[in-house]
Formats: sequence, C-alpha cells, structure tokens
Amino acid sequence: MAEVSIETMTVATTVKTSPKRTAAIVPERSVAGRTLVLLIAIMTFLSGVTLGGVVLVQKSAIAWSSDVGRQVTIQIRPMEGEVMDSNIRTAISLAESIPGVSDAHALSLADSEKLLEPWLGAGLDLSQLDIPRLIVVDLGDPKSVDLNLLSKDLQAVKGATLETHAAWRQQLNTMAGTLVLSGVLVLVLIVVATVLAVVFATRGTMASNREIVDVLHFIGASNAFIAGEFQGRFLALGFRGGVIGGVGAVLFFFAVAGAAGSIVPDQASAQLGFLFGRFSLGVDGILGIAAVVPVIASLTAITSRLTVRRFLSQTSGL
Amino acid sequence: MIAPADSERHSRVIEFTNVGLRYGHGPEILRDLSFRIEPGSFHFLTGPSGSGKTSLLRLLLLSLKPSRGTLTMFGRNVSQLDQDSLLDMRRHIGIVFQEFRLLDHLTTFENVALPLRVLGEPESLYRSNVTELLEWVGLGERMDALPPLLSGGEKQRAAIARAVIGRPDILLADEPTGNVDSELSLRLVRLFAELNKLGTTIILATHELGLLDAFDFPRMSLSDGQVTVDG
Repeated sequence: MAEVSIETMTVATTVKTSPKRTAAIVPERSVAGRTLVLLIAIMTFLSGVTLGGVVLVQKSAIAWSSDVGRQVTIQIRPMEGEVMDSNIRTAISLAESIPGVSDAHALSLADSEKLLEPWLGAGLDLSQLDIPRLIVVDLGDPKSVDLNLLSKDLQAVKGATLETHAAWRQQLNTMAGTLVLSGVLVLVLIVVATVLAVVFATRGTMASNREIVDVLHFIGASNAFIAGEFQGRFLALGFRGGVIGGVGAVLFFFAVAGAAGSIVPDQASAQLGFLFGRFSLGVDGILGIAAVVPVIASLTAITSRLTVRRFLSQTSGL
Repeated sequence: MIAPADSERHSRVIEFTNVGLRYGHGPEILRDLSFRIEPGSFHFLTGPSGSGKTSLLRLLLLSLKPSRGTLTMFGRNVSQLDQDSLLDMRRHIGIVFQEFRLLDHLTTFENVALPLRVLGEPESLYRSNVTELLEWVGLGERMDALPPLLSGGEKQRAAIARAVIGRPDILLADEPTGNVDSELSLRLVRLFAELNKLGTTIILATHELGLLDAFDFPRMSLSDGQVTVDG
C-alpha cells in the first residue's frame, strides 16, 4: 500500500514538473519575419521563372535545331526548256544515292498550296503558276551525310539548289545562347540582390535583438552558439520564403502553358509550339526550380551566419 | 612549497597591478589600480557616479581588457588570453545588473536556466537544480511567470539566480538594489551574503550609504579613477 502511495506521488510530481516546450532564445517574431519571407519568396519566384525560361529556351532550341538538322530541302526552279517532273525524279534519285539519306520525296502541289495558304488564302490553284517545287530530304544520320557531295551532284539538274538551313540554325543557336546567357546573368544578379537584402535584414535583426545578444554574451555563450540561434531562424525563414516562391514559379509556368493553349487558336498554337516549344517545363525544369528553393534557403542561412558572426565579433568585447 | 588547497586558492585571487583603462583615445577612466581581492571575500565597490565603477566591473567581467598594467584572474594575465580562454574564464563569473536584464519572452525558469542551456546541458539534467535554486530565492511559485509580470524584487532575485546557477567563483553586481526599496535592498544583500558564505567571491557596486553601513564588508572606493580599499 505504501509502495502504491510512493508511486502515485512520483507520478504526481512528474506531472507537476513535466517540462513544457522550451521557448526559443531568439523569439521568432523578433526576426524581421514577414518582410524577409516575402522578399525571399519574390527572389525565389524570379529565380525560378528565369531558370524555367532558360530551360524552355534551351530545350526548344535543341529540339528545333535537331528537327531542322534532320532535313534538307532541294528547290527546283522552273527553267526554260526543262521538264519539271523529270528534274524532280533526277534530283530525288541523286539525293537517295547519298549515304545517310533515309528518304527523299517531292512536295505535291497540294502540299505547296497548303504551305502557302496562310499568305495567299484558301482555294489557290498552283497548277496555273510556274512555281518552284520542293523536295524534302530526310537525313537518317545527319552526321554521316556528305551535303557537299549532294550539292555538287545537283549541279547536273538545271535550276536545282540545296537548302541546308545552316544559316537558320546558326541564327537560332546564337539567339538561344544569348537568351541563356542573359538568363544566367539575371540569376546572378538576383543572387547578389538576395545576399544584400539578407545582409541588411540580418543587421537590422541583430541591432533590434542587441539586448538578447548582450545577455547571451555575459552569461558565457560563445559567438558560435549565438550565431547558431540566429542562423536557425534565418534558415527557417529562407526555406519558407523559398518554398512559397518556388511553388509560385511552377504554378506560373502551368498557368502560362494553360493560357497559351486556350487563348491562342489551335493552328497558331501549333506553330508557336513548333517555334518556341510547348511552354512545358518537363520534369527536369520542375526539378531545377525545386533545386532553387534549398539553394536560396542555404544562401540565406550562410549569408546571415557570416553577417551575424561579423556583428558578434564587433560587439562581443572579447 | 604551496599545498594543493593553497595553490587552488591562489589561482582564484584577483590581482590588479598598475591597471589603467581608457576608451579609444580618450582620457584614462581608471588609473594605476593596484589591489588584490582574496577568494571567498565580499567587497562593496563604491564611489560617486562616473567614478568608473561600471568600467571596473566590465574589466572583471572580461568584456574589457586593461589599456595598461596587469589584471590577473584565475592565475592568468587576462591581456594574454585568446578568445576561447576568455570565454571559458567568463563562465566562472556571474553578473547581476541594476536593470535586471532578463529576457522578457522567457519564463523565470528559462531565464535562470539560460547559462546552462548555452552550455548545451539537457533540461532533464538541470531542471531540479534550477527549481531548487528558484525556491531558495523565493521564486518557487513564479517559475512559469514572464518577467514583465514580476515585481522589481522578484526580477532581481531571478537575475541573481541566473547569475549563480552556473556556480561561478566570482559574482559581480552592478547597483543590484538600484531599482528596489530599501527593505528589499537589505534582503537582497543578505542573499548575496548567503552566497558568499558558500564560497563565492562577491563584488557589489553600490552608492547607497545605508547598505554600506548595514553590513560590515570591506569597501573599495573609486574616486578620480583610483581605488582605495578599507575595512
């Protein structure tokens, strides 16, 4: 009976003194919370959108360049005294004799009418006009095809010229490279702006928490301990802001993809898709934006830690 | 030959030798201080406002280094210590301020436990010690109260408890009775005297003549940057 009483007392004592959650040494509200979260969210959003834009441009450029690189076109102009159909057959046969060419076929008049329809309107009858005819040559293995040889062979067909799209590809690659470089530059500027903003926010926070810092100093806390207390707060803020901005950036691309599909008419949408891709980030793009979040959070934590350590070394008096 | 006990006692002596202190390029606040404080002693530090009491306490708290001369604490010249050694030494020194300097967002218990928390001790280890100390200073029922809800006397007792929870060898007090009435002042000084009986060296800065007269402890008087020890 006595044992039961003792156990009951022990339990009662345990309940009475059971520790509640210990408060953080640096109160959450004292760290320039909402403003900093908003700032980091905006910076992460901008980084995510920029990174996503770079990914889209690069993916589209690679896809476009690859598609265009797999085809060349032979154009045969009508010439006095030449039979167009005969020239077309000769050109096709010459093209098919080149190693690496998988197919060569002439575009029918109907195909040409369809191509010219956006500019000349529907119901066009090209049979009445002497227009150049096109032969599309598909390259099974673009690297192994000797286009110089094909060009030389085609000299045997009067009015035939080879269009390799090399100038277009060069132009596209230059444009895409410029856009990617600009995107990277913007990313660097955003990172620098984020670092500066976090430095100012951290210094403001440290100044407003000077009393806590002083108390911690005189009770024997090391600078590393104090920095750790503040860094934990900034890491949490950086992560929260980063997640908000990152999710916002991904939603932005979904919204743009949805809007491009619904606002632009189908035919134009297809042409836009051909030229600029489908505004679809893909898994790698989304992963890229997701990777921005820990990068921004870590950047915030590292920047604040360095700023805090500098502040503490100036104020500790040791 | 010095016996081990004498050696340990010697290492806890505080010794000033021709110590001077100035801030930046300003005039010397403290000049040619040469005196010795024995371990386990109790000294009042007195002097008019601006005489340098707080500066002397800051030297003893190691938050300032002498501009010249030698200050020896725990057997070492503090001017020659690196940051880690100074930090380690500071953990043997407790301090109580006139304005309490408790953290308002932490409970009385958490404020008192702070010195142990910064050392990384788990709460399960120090909880009973902190509770016992709070009961000893008469704050057993106020453990969960936040400082803004405490009276001046309660705040000062909490500040004293925080200063001694780490069992410091030296306890510094800068006008600890400046914000409480005279009766409570006497009770607080008695509390310091109790701590002194347990072996803690106490240096208590005050300019209240009533307190100085009520207790028979030696006085260090600061005037014109120089100190005289009597009693």
